[in-house]
Amino acid sequence: MYSLLDTAISWLLFVFGVSIPFYLILGAIGISGFREITSYEKYDTFYYNLNASIKILLSVVIVLIATFAIWWIGAIITFGLLASYVTLKNGWRKMYLTGFLILSIIIGTVWGYAPYEPLGIVSMALHTPVSSFTTVWTWPPYFSILGYEPHLTLQSLYYSFQISFRFTAAVVASLLLVMTNTPAQIIKTLSRFRIPDPVIFSLVVAMKTVPAVFESFDTSIKISLMRGYGGNKPKFLRPFVILAAAVSCIVPTIVHLLRGAKDIGISADTRAFRAYPSRSYFMQTPFKREDYIFSGILVIMVTATIIAIMMGFGRAIPYLT
Amino acid sequence: MGFNGIGADLSVPGMIPWEIIVAYFAIALGFVLYYSRKTGGLKGYKTVDFVYIGIGAAFTVVWEFFVGPLLDKIVPPGLSAFIGFGFFGRIIILFIIAGLVRKPGVGMLSLAIFDILGDIFHYGFSGEPIFVFYEALTYGLFIDIAITIRRGNLFGNFSTGKTKNGIGAYAQKHQELFAAITGGIIGFTWAFPDPFFYSGFFGPFLYGSIVNWQKILITFAESIPGNIIFGIIAGLIALRVARVLGQ
Repeated sequence: MYSLLDTAISWLLFVFGVSIPFYLILGAIGISGFREITSYEKYDTFYYNLNASIKILLSVVIVLIATFAIWWIGAIITFGLLASYVTLKNGWRKMYLTGFLILSIIIGTVWGYAPYEPLGIVSMALHTPVSSFTTVWTWPPYFSILGYEPHLTLQSLYYSFQISFRFTAAVVASLLLVMTNTPAQIIKTLSRFRIPDPVIFSLVVAMKTVPAVFESFDTSIKISLMRGYGGNKPKFLRPFVILAAAVSCIVPTIVHLLRGAKDIGISADTRAFRAYPSRSYFMQTPFKREDYIFSGILVIMVTATIIAIMMGFGRAIPYLT
Repeated sequence: MGFNGIGADLSVPGMIPWEIIVAYFAIALGFVLYYSRKTGGLKGYKTVDFVYIGIGAAFTVVWEFFVGPLLDKIVPPGLSAFIGFGFFGRIIILFIIAGLVRKPGVGMLSLAIFDILGDIFHYGFSGEPIFVFYEALTYGLFIDIAITIRRGNLFGNFSTGKTKNGIGAYAQKHQELFAAITGGIIGFTWAFPDPFFYSGFFGPFLYGSIVNWQKILITFAESIPGNIIFGIIAGLIALRVARVLGQ
């Protein structure tokens, strides 16, 4: 029979999986922390001198490597790149914030996949028969309503842990691009792909807006809290209160942002936007010494991965879900 | 490895035949090109429309990649197919933008920019340009078809009110009902792309993932109620925001 203690532990595990990513993100990073890791700041170190196209290439290469090589290669790349964040402006702080984001992604992925990934699929992925799985925890029978598998196995934890590095590597590389290049530089690179001007314009507006979204979102939520939203709730529920406030703040925030749209439109028009079929660029983005060095590093990474794949360290887990 | 991480696997068992997918996208693209020739395409857009689209895409990225995943954690996994806050946020925000711009093409343009932005901030560019086309020509196209059918009055006819006293109470109720119905219908159509197009074709095509039709059908059926409800809510919000911003 299922004892009361086991039930309590099961629910505790459930609550743990639900709330830890939460506390990590809202407690350690905070919504304004996201602004710091999504906006460009002027500085002068290696990454800042790199051409945006190289960093876009980096993100493509990294995702490819994470997809095709064994999981720990993705993990090494994730943490290696994260460590190199130290060279950025306010590097330690950025590494700290992104580190927590990565940690919450890993825990979130593990907890989001492991308890309810069908054992048949895990067995297929790990090439191990279900019978030899190690059961870590048996859930109460009614947990199946939540979509849980009856048992939590070591193998499904391992499987979902591996999967998480497919997401993290791309996130680290993408944030690096956003933090070290101005929107104009990134857009200039993308404009080589013959994307129409209005689309590029929208993209510039969008990139400039992302940090602003975090900022006005944060303000909006804080104002709700100041007005007493969830004021009588106990302190440990605070992240949930913030989240509930976030939901009710979507519309005010978007209205606030859209109200500024007309000004942006007018100011673009006064500078003769769309008056000519194509536009000219004031800024040049030549290839510098750093770019060649970094391209070399990329080539080494790709070769190393190809060698690793040939040595049998290829993708262990197929894409199943 | 294929080009840019695209496995181009056409032989996964159970996959939707590629001919159907190609036919769908050919027809969709043909419709879009024909219609944009007829209406002047992006030339009919004002600069502020592009700003709206950009802001909408930025907000969707913030919501879907940074805030939404947190909310989704609260939802018990068994219910996660019914309730996806990240996706619902996308519905609301993009409907607001569509309700503001109200010109055919806004859906596709918004989704395309959202996708590129998502690559810059989150995914990396692997697998492109498949995703841009896939999302723009499914989710985006559905909005654009609705705008085309409604001749620009996507969530109600608030801008052409000819009476000087504004819209009467009766008309306002009428409009709200109308916006809710339109939103619900578009929300319903948004239940199609992910299970059928992605799990049934692009997932296996790009990564060789396994096609499980039972799962596809269940995901589809489970996502319908939530999408319709949030479509209705989004339609009403879009109408209200458009009124506030006084287009």
